[in-house]
Amino acid sequence: MIKVEHLNKSFDGVQVLKDICVEYEPGKCNMIIGASGSGKTVLLKNLIGLLEPDSGEICYGDRKLSQMDYEEKKKLRQKIGILFQGSALFDFATVIENVMFPMEFLTDWSETQRRERARYCLEKVNVIGSDDKYPNELSGGMQKRVGIARAIALNPEYLFCDEPNSGLDPYTSILIDRLISDLTKEFNMTTIVNTHDMNSILEIGDKIGFIYQGSLLWQGDKNTILQTECKELKDFVCANALARNIIGK
Amino acid sequence: MLKKIFVSVGRYFLFLKMVFRRPEKWKIFWRQFVNEADKLILSSILLVGVISLFIGGVLVIQTASNLENPIIDKMYIGYMVRESLILEFCSTMVALILAGKMGSNISSEIGSMRITEQIDAMDMMGINSAGFLVLPKVTAAAILSPLLMLLSLALGLVGGWIVVESTQIIPTASYITGIKAFYNGFYIFYSCFKMSLFCFMIASIAAFNGYYAKGGSLGVGRSSTQAIVTTSILILMADLIVTQLMLY
Repeated sequence: MIKVEHLNKSFDGVQVLKDICVEYEPGKCNMIIGASGSGKTVLLKNLIGLLEPDSGEICYGDRKLSQMDYEEKKKLRQKIGILFQGSALFDFATVIENVMFPMEFLTDWSETQRRERARYCLEKVNVIGSDDKYPNELSGGMQKRVGIARAIALNPEYLFCDEPNSGLDPYTSILIDRLISDLTKEFNMTTIVNTHDMNSILEIGDKIGFIYQGSLLWQGDKNTILQTECKELKDFVCANALARNIIGK
Repeated sequence: MLKKIFVSVGRYFLFLKMVFRRPEKWKIFWRQFVNEADKLILSSILLVGVISLFIGGVLVIQTASNLENPIIDKMYIGYMVRESLILEFCSTMVALILAGKMGSNISSEIGSMRITEQIDAMDMMGINSAGFLVLPKVTAAAILSPLLMLLSLALGLVGGWIVVESTQIIPTASYITGIKAFYNGFYIFYSCFKMSLFCFMIASIAAFNGYYAKGGSLGVGRSSTQAIVTTSILILMADLIVTQLMLY
């Protein structure tokens, strides 16, 4: 469980996040949605500790992030898996080495055990037979899958995905979304997905938080989002033709 | 401007603090150390070798053309060439050349990892990215670069000998006597120390610039240029200070 209490963040006097309060539960795909520039990525970066909030608290379980020392943060980070927008696979390593990378640093497993675990994770995301390829030899969708495999390599308690289907075709996007949703339920992870893709939201949004100009305006799920009375959210949702048609009917 | 310089210096030392944290696993560190030694030092041998050969030859011709007085023994040409190579060329000039090659290599590699979020990914795994990426580079450059200096010295002297042999600008025996005359072992230590210090500066400043690169591929290019310019100026300043401290 991740709890955010009265989070504020500003850059050069411009307030990007305003008094965000939200809870993210395990076993669910928690989605942060909003237009570009609304503050989604800043919120995600605050949650994972890449940015420090101006005020407010982020709690992992019963521990406050701001009160953790270097070692405690390091331990927490080992429980976190992240899928970055551009996959962030290491150029210097092959597919299997990318997945084995965190294990090599953070476990005492033998080479064989690491390889077995990496193969298991790659099978989970349906990447087979590409072990020795380098990231630049893979398609965008394959890179995302390998990114997910690397993120789940150490059985994380928390999975963060920053715009997991940006730059992907609709079919591959749905496959990636379902993969994230299935893994979340299978491993009971607290998953937080940052997206503005309506297809994803309607496909896997167990819990949705809509951010508008830095404020959390609405919370709900994929079943209630189309019935919303929130004007700003309605505008956001209706930018998608499919959703517009459903709401129209 | 002054404030910016102080902020950068402060950030640089904080960065070094991160770099010199104990490695997570020594086995991984040594593997990276060997890789970096190959990438930074071994791959520079050809460049350093070719430049040293030519500079050695040029130094012989220039020194000979300035020492035409019949009273001065010709062996002093060999002596002066050797001293010029040891005291300045093989450490400072070679370091300035390496600042371009090694510096841009390190800065662009780390900078592109920064803008594609690979460094963020490492940090988020709980891995000390600065330690993993930079420590092997800095240590390989600082520890092994004196070997480049010694190679440069040897090839510089060989370059001078080739010119002497082929042009008979001075008798070969005088050149050989000159390069063996008044040998001071401390100068070799001084030059090795300078080379080691300069290469530490090249690797750490280039890595620092790359590590904090921002603004896409343009930002990577900018950080690379800035690394080379900063390092070149600081090498010359450090040269002056070290020379004053060690030789006078």
